Amino acid sequence: MFFQKKKEKPHKGDILLAKGIYLKQPAMKNGSVLKNCFLRSIIVFSLTFGTIGGFLSAFHISYNFLLVVFFYILFALYFSFLYSTAKLLLRDVGYIVFFALFVGAIFVFRVYANSGFYTVVNQVLQQAKIFFNLSGVREYETQINNAYLTVAIVAVFIGMVLIIILNIWLSSAMSLFWTVLLTFPLQLIPIYMKLTPDPFYMIILMAGYVAVVVFKANGHYIAFAWGTTFQAKGLKKNKVTYSQDARVFSQVLISLAVFAFALVILFEAIFPSRFFESRFKNDPLREATSDTIGNFVLLGFSGMMNKYSATGGLSAGRLGGVSSVRPDYQTDLVVTYAPYSTEPVYLKGYTGGIYGDNQWETIYDEENNDLTGENEEIFEEETLHRECGILMYSFLAGEEHSGIGNIDVQNVGANTNFLYYPYYTEFPMGKMEGRKRPGVMGAGIRTGRKAFYMFLPQLSWDGIGDVIPSEIDLSMVDPVYLDVPEKNKEVIHNECEKIGLTSDMTENEIVDAVRDYFNENIPYTLRPGATPEDADFINYFLTGNRKGYCAHFASAATLLFREMGIPARYVEGYAFSYEAALASEQNESEEYDYYYDGFSPIGASTVLDVEVTDAMAHAWVEVYMEGFGWKVVEVTPGNNEEEEEDDFWSAFTNFLSNPESGDAADGGANMLGDLSLSQYSWLVYVVLGIILLLILIYMIGIAIRKFRRYRICHQKNAREAVIAYYADTCNMIRTCDKTFDHCRSHMEQLDYMERQYTLVFEKENLCKEIERISFSMENAENAEIEKIRSFIDEVRKKIRKTAKFGQRVKLWKR
Amino acid sequence: MKKIRNWIRYIVIIVFNLFFMFLFQSYINLILLIGLLLFPVYSIYAVKKVAEKLSVEIKAPMEAMEKKSEFYIRFLLHNPTFFPLVNATIVMDAENAFYLEKGSHTLNVPIRAKKDTEVSYPIVMDYCGRLIVSVKEIVLVDLLGIYEVTIPLSETRECLVFPTGQSRNREVGQIYIHGVSEAMESKEKGYDFSEVSGIREYVPGDKLQNIHWKLSVKKDELMVKERISVSAMQLIVLVELANDEEMRLESVLELAEGVTKSLVAQNLPFTIYYYSSNIGGLKECYIGNEVEREQWIEMVLYDLSYKDFGRVEQVFSEQVSAESTYLYIGYDPGIRESENVIYGAQQTVAVLRGNTI
Repeated sequence: MFFQKKKEKPHKGDILLAKGIYLKQPAMKNGSVLKNCFLRSIIVFSLTFGTIGGFLSAFHISYNFLLVVFFYILFALYFSFLYSTAKLLLRDVGYIVFFALFVGAIFVFRVYANSGFYTVVNQVLQQAKIFFNLSGVREYETQINNAYLTVAIVAVFIGMVLIIILNIWLSSAMSLFWTVLLTFPLQLIPIYMKLTPDPFYMIILMAGYVAVVVFKANGHYIAFAWGTTFQAKGLKKNKVTYSQDARVFSQVLISLAVFAFALVILFEAIFPSRFFESRFKNDPLREATSDTIGNFVLLGFSGMMNKYSATGGLSAGRLGGVSSVRPDYQTDLVVTYAPYSTEPVYLKGYTGGIYGDNQWETIYDEENNDLTGENEEIFEEETLHRECGILMYSFLAGEEHSGIGNIDVQNVGANTNFLYYPYYTEFPMGKMEGRKRPGVMGAGIRTGRKAFYMFLPQLSWDGIGDVIPSEIDLSMVDPVYLDVPEKNKEVIHNECEKIGLTSDMTENEIVDAVRDYFNENIPYTLRPGATPEDADFINYFLTGNRKGYCAHFASAATLLFREMGIPARYVEGYAFSYEAALASEQNESEEYDYYYDGFSPIGASTVLDVEVTDAMAHAWVEVYMEGFGWKVVEVTPGNNEEEEEDDFWSAFTNFLSNPESGDAADGGANMLGDLSLSQYSWLVYVVLGIILLLILIYMIGIAIRKFRRYRICHQKNAREAVIAYYADTCNMIRTCDKTFDHCRSHMEQLDYMERQYTLVFEKENLCKEIERISFSMENAENAEIEKIRSFIDEVRKKIRKTAKFGQRVKLWKR
Repeated sequence: MKKIRNWIRYIVIIVFNLFFMFLFQSYINLILLIGLLLFPVYSIYAVKKVAEKLSVEIKAPMEAMEKKSEFYIRFLLHNPTFFPLVNATIVMDAENAFYLEKGSHTLNVPIRAKKDTEVSYPIVMDYCGRLIVSVKEIVLVDLLGIYEVTIPLSETRECLVFPTGQSRNREVGQIYIHGVSEAMESKEKGYDFSEVSGIREYVPGDKLQNIHWKLSVKKDELMVKERISVSAMQLIVLVELANDEEMRLESVLELAEGVTKSLVAQNLPFTIYYYSSNIGGLKECYIGNEVEREQWIEMVLYDLSYKDFGRVEQVFSEQVSAESTYLYIGYDPGIRESENVIYGAQQTVAVLRGNTI
């Protein structure tokens, strides 16, 4: 009994239309399946060929067109048939066979594929070099120089993978999302570099996209995979769908291709890409990202990764490991002081004296963590004790341009290894002995604690640094501050020549020349890219990358000054501008007199609590100026970038939330500021123009139809004219009421008119007359014709009178 | 709902494209945007144009079909425009007018441009009857699925589906032997169950067998014998057209088909009665050959079934004769086994009844 054959249901698979009435399920004809597969494969082909061909054409890479087309069609057909086969085993075997062939082909043509791939990469890099204005890009060696063939082979291999994935998504779900995700990213590379693919590829890609939208919207895409001609859906299975008709499929594809062709060709002719590009005054995306992407092009992924924290703050002399700095804008220090000058306030933290291995190191004896012995002397020199003494003397002597101040520095979130003191701080040296040296853990201001510094600002530099470097008295300077490492010598020397530094220039002239040169020739960026593993930070900055942030400029300038014989050292700390200070909160509980006494170019002000964020962390140079001592030299070019949002999405969000911020005049510039409608009004005009054009075409169409009707209804042959007039009137009624279609004879029609429009006329006589005029060969008398025409006029009046608004619109536009 | 979904999807595509266009200042996206804005215009125009010109025709077999056999209803959609459509929904009814069984459904078809789209509907009917297929309206959807046009239609076609019945030659013979002696006598006379009442000139439509050949030769024109029915001497057949949930009428009709076919095959003419719901009374048909028999079935199928079993016998006894012998074909669960009974499915029987039995 276990082997008893199951009784087969009499209408298994049939669709019940009513009790006892069944729609049978004939199997799909093989021919129909094949045709549908072929047509579906055309969509896959157009998307794949449009994507890869478009990419290659945008980069002006020529390839064996026929070879690529042949294999794409072959693969698209193969996978389309494979997917539509109902037999799973056959499908699996098909995929396995293909995979085996694929592996074999890769093995046989690996050299060709490699060469083709590198040819494409080289071409892309060359374009990137031009676009990103890079000094140089890698060039990969190709083993086979026949690019025409090798590019075609690699295009076939890549296209093959794309075809397999696209085929699955299109066959199973006709997914536009996956289609765009799989094809569009490749287009983004040329689009980003402002390269436009050949119109031919744009046409087929666009036709492919629209085909996916159309077939997805109508839900017929899957029909040919049913295996049966009909499919029943709905709760009661009362929605029957007829399988996809291959002819309709092909007609739709052809119409889409014609549409795409006409659109691209006409639009390119009317509105070429150069007009489009000229509309954009700014390019925020590329401005914001070109550095990062340029680094990627130049260095690969290593150029994009940070070796250590890059959220701002001090790096303690470590250089080159940061690709892009992303400050978190959190407060590191709170500084309480009374402004005494419009110059920025520098809070010194770390002092680098020895450069090597992409790092500035201090000159402290690292084995000794305390300020004892040699370290105490170094600390004294580093904290500018001598210069402070000079200034104290001047102040006490009551000299002009001298002053003294107090400054409180509270550590909120800064590195606790450093002291963050202003220039020139009076350290009580006796009390410092035995304390931890700067840089050692816990040597600085602890988090939450406040340091109280007394400082003496140098407010006038007249007459200082006006000597040539050879005349500097170096007796007070550690020779290490003149050291240029061997591996940097050549680069630094060449750079000095490039800048035009000569030995007969004074210290101030050299400083100014370097600052000006940097300002004019090397751009500032927070995203310079990481220094390559085997490259020297300063050499790479000056010869390769030629862009960077403060650490780059300060490091390079330090060695440049040393090369010219000026003692220099690299310093890290915090700096804030007078404007930033003014934007801070006033501390009304503190007295100005306590915080500052003496000369102030800005006069007496108020005590401020300045919140110093990690974005204010900075690196600068101290140079030894003959006649005074160490002086802060700012060589970093003006930085607008730091004031901008460096995160595209934040900027975009800001833009969305504050559309007025697009106005550059108010200083609130953001990356997408130029997205305001006023700047893109041309696009609105284009769209409006198209809409108006369409309306005009529509109106002209209506006018032509009305004119034609008028001509026919008023033609010379009065009999024909009245017949046409009657027919037109019937059409008018039909427009208002579809049920008029049921009136098949003249009598029925007249009967309808009589009822609907409450007309009084001799129906039977009129019917006979109309029929005689319409069908009989007898000559019609004018009186008869006129009678009918006047009746029709009356009917038309009634139609217009009784028509509702919607019907009147229909009547007008018909 | 689907239309709204398609609108939303399309708007999302436009918004994304717009976003990419501004973001990358991309000319490709500008062209795509223009295409996305223009395509709905084209799509809606196309569907309106098709709606204006489309005509729908249904084709059904002219001859009667047999139940449980496959036949085709064909839908022809003639689209003279250049615009193909992927999605047209035909709202239609399929009805067995004999049993008053009706079902509504929609048929979704693509429509070819400049061609006829023909959809063949392979139909199988489990019950005999009169299949009426009617199209009430057709809903055309544009290529993007965002705009619909509904065209009201009133296309109807019908097709007759005859019952199938096994031949009952042997049983019919026994019934004659046991109960219809008059008919047997007539049979022996030469298979003629009517009497000649007069001679007249041939009128188109007269049966060939009624032509008086000898006289025709003499008069040099066709003369036919006028006959009068001798039904009183013949077999009377009553067919019950009552139906229930079990669809017993199907078995009755199958049995009637088998019995009447056998009678005609054995040249045994008979008069058949059934209760017509259309006229509210008995309907009488004289059947002497296969053509007449088929005409009778056709008449039956144009009538309606009813619910009361035994109505035909009751009305026959009231209106025709309470004393005649007749062959009753209908449902009778309590009948005893006898030589005068032919059994059908579902306790249906053809049984001789009347005073002489």
